[in-house]
Amino acid sequence: MRDQLTFADRAAMDTVISQALANGIKAVSVNLERLDYMDSAGLGMLLTLRERAGKSGAQIRLVKPQGDVKELLSLACFDTLFPIEN
Amino acid sequence: MGDGSPTADGHTRILIVDDERMNRALLEAALSHGGYAWTSAEDGLAAWDILDAAPTDFAAILLDQNMPRMTGLQLLARIRADERLTHLPVVMQTAYASPDDIVEGITAGVSYYLAKPLNIKLLMTVVAQAVRDHDLLCRLLGDIDRQTAAFTLLDSAVFRFRTPDEANMLAVALARSSPCSRNLVVGLSEVFTNAVEHGNLAIGHDEKTRLLNEQRWSEEIARRLALPEYAERWVTVEVQRQTDEIRFTVRDQGAGFDWNKYLTFDPGRVFSYHGRGIAMARKLYFDDLSYRGCGNEVVCTVRAAGGLPLPPGEAAVRQQADDTHDDMVTASAMQVGLLPTAANLAEIEAQTGWRISSLYRPFATVSGDIWGLEPLGEHRLAIHLADFSSHGMAAALHGFHLHTLIKSMGEDRDQPAAFLARLNQRMAGFLPVGHYCAMIYGVLDLRESRFTYAAAAAMRPVGADLDGRRVWSGDGKGLPVGILPATTYVERQIPLPPGAMLFLFSDGLPEARQSDGKPIGCSGVSASVGAALKAGGEIDAASLVGAILTRAGECPHLRDDLTAICCRRAAE
Repeated sequence: MRDQLTFADRAAMDTVISQALANGIKAVSVNLERLDYMDSAGLGMLLTLRERAGKSGAQIRLVKPQGDVKELLSLACFDTLFPIEN
Repeated sequence: MGDGSPTADGHTRILIVDDERMNRALLEAALSHGGYAWTSAEDGLAAWDILDAAPTDFAAILLDQNMPRMTGLQLLARIRADERLTHLPVVMQTAYASPDDIVEGITAGVSYYLAKPLNIKLLMTVVAQAVRDHDLLCRLLGDIDRQTAAFTLLDSAVFRFRTPDEANMLAVALARSSPCSRNLVVGLSEVFTNAVEHGNLAIGHDEKTRLLNEQRWSEEIARRLALPEYAERWVTVEVQRQTDEIRFTVRDQGAGFDWNKYLTFDPGRVFSYHGRGIAMARKLYFDDLSYRGCGNEVVCTVRAAGGLPLPPGEAAVRQQADDTHDDMVTASAMQVGLLPTAANLAEIEAQTGWRISSLYRPFATVSGDIWGLEPLGEHRLAIHLADFSSHGMAAALHGFHLHTLIKSMGEDRDQPAAFLARLNQRMAGFLPVGHYCAMIYGVLDLRESRFTYAAAAAMRPVGADLDGRRVWSGDGKGLPVGILPATTYVERQIPLPPGAMLFLFSDGLPEARQSDGKPIGCSGVSASVGAALKAGGEIDAASLVGAILTRAGECPHLRDDLTAICCRRAAE
């Protein structure tokens, strides 16, 4: 992912995750290195992703969040919900 | 009593009478938006005091039916019995009315009916129509007073006219032929105008609805009057006085119409805001009104005593409940109705010693933010601010749910971490996946000089000396509310010594973009609070937000709902 993750991205996000899970993938890494903005709806999408992956027996990892995105994940204690790799 | 405009010069003023604060807020907002001045009263008795003191101040009344102390119909009876007010248009709002109720209401003097829930667009159309009625009536009645009484000597005569203005002029003159001229003028004006508009100029009911909605009614009349096919069409009026009655025979040169369905209050048109003028005139102003032939000739009869001493009424309105915009405006008013009012804040200040001010600005019509207060004894005050992740109506509905839950949870109010954990447990049970709320819940304690709080991904609370010399922040870290049922929260404290204030805000403030495109950020908010306090001036939520946004650039771009709360000691 790059640039922004906001409410406007939910359809694209849904498509990508549906394809990944349909292919039987059990470990999904979401690379946040080039993402420099995420709003509350973006966090909500990560939660949806987590729920859907959980139902398929898959795990979501968040990789290399930076700057404001890292700060937001920390504020919301998302490290208790996702493994986060720095 | 509320007042929408301290300087009412040049504004048409409407009296709002409704016991529901939220309904009044909705009407006040709509009227202000429409360029009207308004005065609000919370029941019929309060409204009567206002009308009695200033009977000529208002052009119309928006009246609720069901109210304590004095109902809408009781107030209406007083208004109609008072000769200073008898012709004031009254728009009655009602959640339910049968056609019989409406006929009864109209007979009692209701000018227009509006169905609840209100359709704002329709409300504004009806208010405009009521104001036009009022203006026309003031003019007609003023003209009557100036008219010679010579027409009381009229035995028989024939008149003819072409335009609505001529119709009204003649109505005024002929009304003087009867002892009950003030009622008769309204009926004659209705019948004469009808003969021009619907008769000679052939404008049908549906077409009139459309033209009124598009505010092109007068323009279309003028256009048709100038067309060759209508230029030679006249209305003739034959007047005959007999020993105990006066008879007006009105003929137009149109094609006539199916007059049967316009003679009574058709249940299908009870909420239509026009198309009932004939039935009204027949019932209220004449002793008899009957059409002849194809409908281009009507005979109106006034017996010696004249018509009923009742006002002009005209029409009512059918609610188009599918107007989403109106629903959103209503939802917005309902949401604002959940927030503490100025009166609540004054009470809380007296009770707890904490002076609270707030700014609440939805990004769209409704907000995903909600905040509230609960006094805990003499010196403590519980406060919460929540910001839902979703947008629009879904977020607003979650906010309503949260508000209700908090109100119902009596335990642990003074233990923020325990309270927030319990609240989270209940919210997690019904919030859809992906929806959550960032929240802060805490207790302001005057004696302990601190704010004890629990946070769930909240913006960090900011404390500051009132002179701005020191600014300090708390920590907003915590799992958002509504994600995992078994979440525990950390209880934190932020000192609030005498001479200090607390500033709470939702993420709409730090996420607002500065002129360079970057967000203000939490550190930017803290720095701006300090700078604003150093600069002096008002210390309240709106002033601080204003200072923060101004410091961020000329026109900061808000991207989200924004709520800010300023808490300080009352005595300082």
